[in-house]
Amino acid sequence: MKDLKELKKIEQFSDQCMKCGFCSFFCPVYQEEKMETSVARGKNYLVKQILAGKQEFTHEMADIIGKCLLCKRCAANCPAKTQIDRVVVAARAQLVKEKGLGAIKEFAFRKVMANRKAFGKYARLMQKFQWMMPTTEGKIKHLPDFVKGLGKRNFPSLAKTFLRDQIKPVYKPQNGEKPKMRVGFFMGCATDFVYPELGLKLIDFLTRHGVEVVVPEDQNCCGAAIYFSGDLETGRMLADLNIKAFKDLNVDYIVTACGTCSSTLKDYQKYLPDTEEQKERYTEFEKKIKDSTEFVIDILKIPPEDFKLRKEFEGKTVTWHDPCHLVRYQNIKDQPRAILKALKGIKYVEMPNADMCCGMGGSFSVYHYDLTKKIAGKKMDGIKATGADIVVTACPGCMINLIDNVLLNKMPQKVHHFLELVE
Amino acid sequence: MLKESLISEFQKIVGKDNVLTSPEALKAYSYDGTTSWIHEPDVVVFPTSTDEVSRIMKLANAEKIPVTPRGGGTNVSGGSVPWHGGIVMVMTKFNQILKIDKENLTATVEPGVVLQDLTLRLAKEGLFFPPDPQSFLGATMGGIISENAGGPAGVKYGVTKQYILGVEVVLPSGEVIHLGGRTLKNVVGYDLLHIFISSEGTLGVITKAELKLNPLPQARKTLCVVYDDVSVAGEGVFRVLENGVIPCKIEMVDNWVINRIEEMMPIGLPKDADACLFFEVDGIPEVVEKEAQKIAEITKQYGAKEARIAPNMDEANKYWLARRAGFAAVFGKAKQVFAEDVTVPRGNIPKFVKKIRELAKKYDVEIVVLGHAGDGNLHPAVLTDPANKEHYERALKAVDEIIESAAVEFGGVLSGEHGIGLEKQKFMRKVTEPAVINMMKGIKALIDPNNIMNPGKIWE
Repeated sequence: MKDLKELKKIEQFSDQCMKCGFCSFFCPVYQEEKMETSVARGKNYLVKQILAGKQEFTHEMADIIGKCLLCKRCAANCPAKTQIDRVVVAARAQLVKEKGLGAIKEFAFRKVMANRKAFGKYARLMQKFQWMMPTTEGKIKHLPDFVKGLGKRNFPSLAKTFLRDQIKPVYKPQNGEKPKMRVGFFMGCATDFVYPELGLKLIDFLTRHGVEVVVPEDQNCCGAAIYFSGDLETGRMLADLNIKAFKDLNVDYIVTACGTCSSTLKDYQKYLPDTEEQKERYTEFEKKIKDSTEFVIDILKIPPEDFKLRKEFEGKTVTWHDPCHLVRYQNIKDQPRAILKALKGIKYVEMPNADMCCGMGGSFSVYHYDLTKKIAGKKMDGIKATGADIVVTACPGCMINLIDNVLLNKMPQKVHHFLELVE
Repeated sequence: MLKESLISEFQKIVGKDNVLTSPEALKAYSYDGTTSWIHEPDVVVFPTSTDEVSRIMKLANAEKIPVTPRGGGTNVSGGSVPWHGGIVMVMTKFNQILKIDKENLTATVEPGVVLQDLTLRLAKEGLFFPPDPQSFLGATMGGIISENAGGPAGVKYGVTKQYILGVEVVLPSGEVIHLGGRTLKNVVGYDLLHIFISSEGTLGVITKAELKLNPLPQARKTLCVVYDDVSVAGEGVFRVLENGVIPCKIEMVDNWVINRIEEMMPIGLPKDADACLFFEVDGIPEVVEKEAQKIAEITKQYGAKEARIAPNMDEANKYWLARRAGFAAVFGKAKQVFAEDVTVPRGNIPKFVKKIRELAKKYDVEIVVLGHAGDGNLHPAVLTDPANKEHYERALKAVDEIIESAAVEFGGVLSGEHGIGLEKQKFMRKVTEPAVINMMKGIKALIDPNNIMNPGKIWE
């Protein structure tokens, strides 16, 4: 009998599916492909077949397991409460165990992303050459696949100066008083390399509200793209590094401006543990993690009148896009809306299907860019229906994909992080 | 295994991407919404037009290859499982809403349209398609027609067959025919349309349908009526109707289900109640208001302990969410659930629920009731575990007796809305007159002489 350790861990979740097929209505991939292998029920059935020894990890099976955004829309609406995300992640982990990661992911995850210094080095190298990246499709043949995937699209430039190179280890409250709280700031890769101003903005906002912010240098990638691809080993390594980085800082909370990072850090305890000790440690870590949206509303409890709009956004109509990692992974949906509704001078309009995935799905969009575009197209329809000038969200991953598709669809909307709107 | 040449013929008809033969795809089309009926096809094809269906049927008929039409695969009878292998013809990509005709209150749809998508589209026009099978999130129109699906709204609105004016069908020979029409009245010869409705895919492939629609009701009101005795609740159902109110839904949950719902999502249902009835009335706002009050009066007069009229949509939605959660609550609590679909005339509901309680005691198994009480379609569910052989045997006996008593003792039928498929075959043979079965066989032989359409189902 084969060792199916990773799948055995989630067998109980897999067994919950009663095959009603309701997931088909909520699955963005099924809605495009209309095939049973695209939807949770089909994937879960095939995983059960593997567990029963009736199915192998063939190339096609790997493809089926790979073709999931992990948006959790099916799970959130499942009458049987099947946690299909855990089934998919475990299946990917089992696949990695059996077949390895493949050269590209092996290099990207383990040699680049897992090592902050190396990632910085490669990012810097890319930054030097990004002027030559064509915006038309399929012209970069000499770059590794995952870079080629990114290069085909309207991709925001890498920052001139990365956040790590301009950030200080400690920021005191701006009023000079004793801090009411001490928080650790978790950067995340996109904020570090693409949107450093978001990080500075968050620090400015927090210190202005009496919070002391510390930024440990040893922090790493959160590991989302890595462990959601099934590389739990590297995921655990990153979890341990991040936990260590914040361990002795004596912080009350750890805050990030990236919805994917906050959910990933919280969910180490869910997807990664191999031992009881890890489970306990990751659960302990989870308690400190706060997304920036929930932190300002639930913890700092900033009253509506204290949110001030930046001048350039006066008179604009805005709408909110729910990142999957906020709305379903963390049940954060009211907080960002409360912030936007508190801002005087803008008009807030709710978007139809605001909670629908933008189609990014991390590395999903690298391998299935055509599907990403189709799924994003539906998101664009929702945005158009609002008549908004600005789409606001709180996940740099979503931002990158929304910008790409707004441009592809020749739409006038601008995409912003909520932090960019507030003074 | 099918001949390579045949696969490439299919590819020529529907395109390469619309023919699947990988072991993974075949596995993914080996099941439906049931637990235990599983059989793999040899090939999966996705047609997107009547012509494509016709060309595939001609090939299949010439080679005598079984064809099982399938939509969302949400059915719970084994009906879309390719029991003899062959072709699974998946209609999910054949899914356009062709026309919504407000003047005539009709819509023309392709078979792969998902009911919920249709409902959302129609709502924009102020219209709705009344049959509401609870699989509406995945169920497709072709399947809904083929299974003659119903749902809670059956009390007031009836079931699918009352809302189909006409269909286009591809026969096993590949010939395309049109049955019914676009009018409300139609008596031109034998009513062949209604042979195809509920034929469970055994006669032909439905490729287009003309639906009868209703204007969307302006208002709704929900009641939760609490009972100390499930039989009295059963009586409440027909007393309300008899006294002049036709609600659009009357749903029943018993004590066991109430408590499982409260464990899953506490919404304040009375945990000590023996049963609750949920009523919904719909229509013109003033009328709906009045009807709700009348239901409260009537049910209290006939022994209800309490009748709560939901003051707002939030509370109403809570009750209906609870009702839907009941379904998951039952399935989550047992390894296997025999969700029966027996239906009795409304007047016999009190006696029938009493009988169910007796049978639960007699066989020492959990039998719960959560169903469409309004039309006597009670869905008693027997909970068991196949691994516990002795318990499983008792559960099977209880199921047999439930069906026997419903169909024979209480003048009902063994399936109200799920259909026979594979799941109910053995009971169908028991309770159907041989002459009737022979007539069905004759019809089948006439339309499908090579027996290629969904073989192995219903009376076989």
